Amino acid sequence: MNYGYCNQSLRINLSDHTIKKETLDSTFLKDYLGGRGLNARRLYEEVPPEVDPISKENKMFIGVGPLTGTLFPGAARVNFTAKSPQTNILGDSNTGGFLGPEIKFAGFDQIILEGKAEQLSYIFIKDGEAEIRSADHLKQLDTFKTQQKLKEEIGDNRVQIAAIGPAAENGVKFSGIFCNMVRAAARTGMGLVLASKNIKAIVVRGTMDLGAKEPDKFKKMIDDMDEEIKNHSEYETRTRLGTTQLVSSLNELGCLATRHFQTGYFEEADQVSGEYLEENYKQKEKGCFACTIPCSRFFEIKEGKYKGLKSEGPEFEGLAGFSSRVGLSDIEDALYGVDLCNRYGLDVITTSECIAFTMELYEKDILSSEEVDGLKPNFGNSEAVFKLIEKIKNREGFGDILADGVVSAAEKIGRDTKKFAMHVKGLEIFQADPRGIKGYGLGVAVATRGGDHLRSEPWFEFSEDAKEGKRRFGYPESAFRLEYKGKGRVVKFYEERCVLADCLEACKNTVVNMEIISFKEAAKLLNTLTEYEFTAEEIQKSAERIMNVERAYIVREGIRREDDTLPDRFLNEPLPEECGESAGSIVEIEPMLNEYYEARNWDMETGVPNIEKLEELGLHEIAEEFKNRDIIKIN
Amino acid sequence: MFDLKIVVEKIKGFCDLPMEVGDYFTVRGGKIEIPEGKHMCLWAMQSLMPVLPAKQREISEENDWIPHTKRFICPDPNGGVVFRIDRINPKTGKPVADKDKIPPRIQVNSEVCTGCRACETVCAFVHNQTFNGEKSRIKVEKNEIEGKDNPFVCRQCGDAPCIKACPVEALSRDPITNAILVNDDKCIGCYKCAEACPFDAITFNENDVALICDLCEGDIECVKRCPTDALKFDNKGGQS
Repeated sequence: MNYGYCNQSLRINLSDHTIKKETLDSTFLKDYLGGRGLNARRLYEEVPPEVDPISKENKMFIGVGPLTGTLFPGAARVNFTAKSPQTNILGDSNTGGFLGPEIKFAGFDQIILEGKAEQLSYIFIKDGEAEIRSADHLKQLDTFKTQQKLKEEIGDNRVQIAAIGPAAENGVKFSGIFCNMVRAAARTGMGLVLASKNIKAIVVRGTMDLGAKEPDKFKKMIDDMDEEIKNHSEYETRTRLGTTQLVSSLNELGCLATRHFQTGYFEEADQVSGEYLEENYKQKEKGCFACTIPCSRFFEIKEGKYKGLKSEGPEFEGLAGFSSRVGLSDIEDALYGVDLCNRYGLDVITTSECIAFTMELYEKDILSSEEVDGLKPNFGNSEAVFKLIEKIKNREGFGDILADGVVSAAEKIGRDTKKFAMHVKGLEIFQADPRGIKGYGLGVAVATRGGDHLRSEPWFEFSEDAKEGKRRFGYPESAFRLEYKGKGRVVKFYEERCVLADCLEACKNTVVNMEIISFKEAAKLLNTLTEYEFTAEEIQKSAERIMNVERAYIVREGIRREDDTLPDRFLNEPLPEECGESAGSIVEIEPMLNEYYEARNWDMETGVPNIEKLEELGLHEIAEEFKNRDIIKIN
Repeated sequence: MFDLKIVVEKIKGFCDLPMEVGDYFTVRGGKIEIPEGKHMCLWAMQSLMPVLPAKQREISEENDWIPHTKRFICPDPNGGVVFRIDRINPKTGKPVADKDKIPPRIQVNSEVCTGCRACETVCAFVHNQTFNGEKSRIKVEKNEIEGKDNPFVCRQCGDAPCIKACPVEALSRDPITNAILVNDDKCIGCYKCAEACPFDAITFNENDVALICDLCEGDIECVKRCPTDALKFDNKGGQS
């Protein structure tokens, strides 16, 4: 019986078809915890800077954590990690659903894909064994059909599938990996990495046992946690609306990404909100594996031009991406846009940014209609939105320019359009305006995978609890979203909480936003679940180690302090009048960055982790490599 | 055979006939008697009629619904006249005490099932100390395209066809919890019980031993862990 960990990874070489099982030793597991941590460490070791992300030298690491597949509510997650073809730095994307647990039940903590298959293939993994099968018949099938067809073909409704869509096969850089139809590891182009290896899908079935070392104690902890969750102040809203609550709440704060961040207030937010979706289209609540907070939903459009459109989802990012960000005020258009992205296998955040970027350039007369294939992409033009999604998927016409992401599009268009590209380190940012949430702004600026909020989620800045702010982070201001002081420390703290969530492979709703478990409780859980002993300090240290390995990885790829910033608009253009309390705000990034580097013990000038920090975390070989590569100068 | 007294217990809407609370008629053997000077609604009576002979008879099957069902309502949606059927001992002329309520059962409402499989995980864990739902006695079938999630689990049928179908008497009913119990040593893995189960609720473990819900000796873990009311354990009808 495996307890928490399976102590085993599966290495599949797609070029020569060798399939090996490798034992994971306790030091590696304790130092890197699981999922994201295991993957980050392997990526650092096995994918050096010279590697082209879409060459066979790139590798994909698929990691699950010690809690994945257990009773822990929402421990359903799995990380896909590789060098990103979209950003050329750390590629890492995480999804929920049911795949993660199935990998554990099949006997693995990690799956490693290397090389490249000769022809389009899928991988079938069952109970400790794997084989590579032809996927010729799945060519160009959308993500839904691919998943359905594989289920039928294998004749087992309980298999779990990760699949790519036609966008990835066509070389779109922001294509993702999709599980359970719509559960997407969409960020940083992990779909394209699979496509570049000629892998259309990974199918997993696990019927092996997975237990807890001390079942009664573990069960008791879970029962207590279930209770705590049910009594949590956020429980009701989270089950009713999930992340879609953010459309109206961010709009009220004046920081909902609207018409490509030209404002933070969308006049028609009420008609595209989570509440509106719930009232008019929601059929029922949906949840990930063994989750007691069913924050997802199944919707159906029952009449009108989209009659019959139904699916799980959408989450906030898709909903706002195809409403406020591109100016669409009909929620049905937004639902259709998200559905197209899901089926084609596209990242909704990047896709919506590419389209919103095009719209702003068009409205500012920087792009002409002819350049955009005769479309008239004004904000709010749903037809243009859908046509652009289609064109991106097919890499045709103007879609080919957008299909490499917004930075590349700005470079190709020229005309000083780079300042309109809403990205950090090549990854397009989310649907909230950093000007109204400074801590999130900092988090996005320093995120190890580029412009992304899920690396830190410093929700504490909404708490408005000055006393707690002073106690926890040294400054009362840290508890207020429009203030700066203490945000460096807040972001460091929540970055490590996010690492914890991504390594245990549990949901950030519970671990980060609801703060259901601390490092101390995580240690207690792992001590009753696994065969190893953990202390709270060790886990915190491991989280910090993982942060530093990821930072070291992107530093080795050339990232420095100047890359830890936000798009021009957020630094220079104040939010307009209609944005309520957020009106007039910009982000003053530099002081927050100083505070953050100080908290991290990274070099103030370069943003490179200091030798002492690397040594303290036991990362001697990285310190050594940094000296050899002249990344750190020795006096 | 019982005699019956059918009384108007309550009027939820309005009845212009009128029927009034307390009006009644009796059934003695094959005869219907209406008190002198009184009347009885034709529509209510015709809707009650089929059930009267059944209510007159003794039924030994303890889960049968007839002995526990007392109230019928007139078919006029605006009327809502509620009739209560009391069984009368023909020798003493006194009402017969009601039987105890039917035992509670697991009730499934797939309309609100989130498909999370928390029920499977906890079932497998408390019974077999494994998180893998393969060993669970409840299994959720999911259709992700249609958004349908359907938990399959034993409903503790009164007249359990699985018990009858078992050729080796491996199945029995727990007299206290009313759960169907599997004697693992006797079960020969012939699947006859699964074929007989009207709810497709029986699966088998890797040794071909039937997996049937044992109601966790009364403290039902899957019901406790269900985040919506897709699983309930009670004896009230209707879905939430």
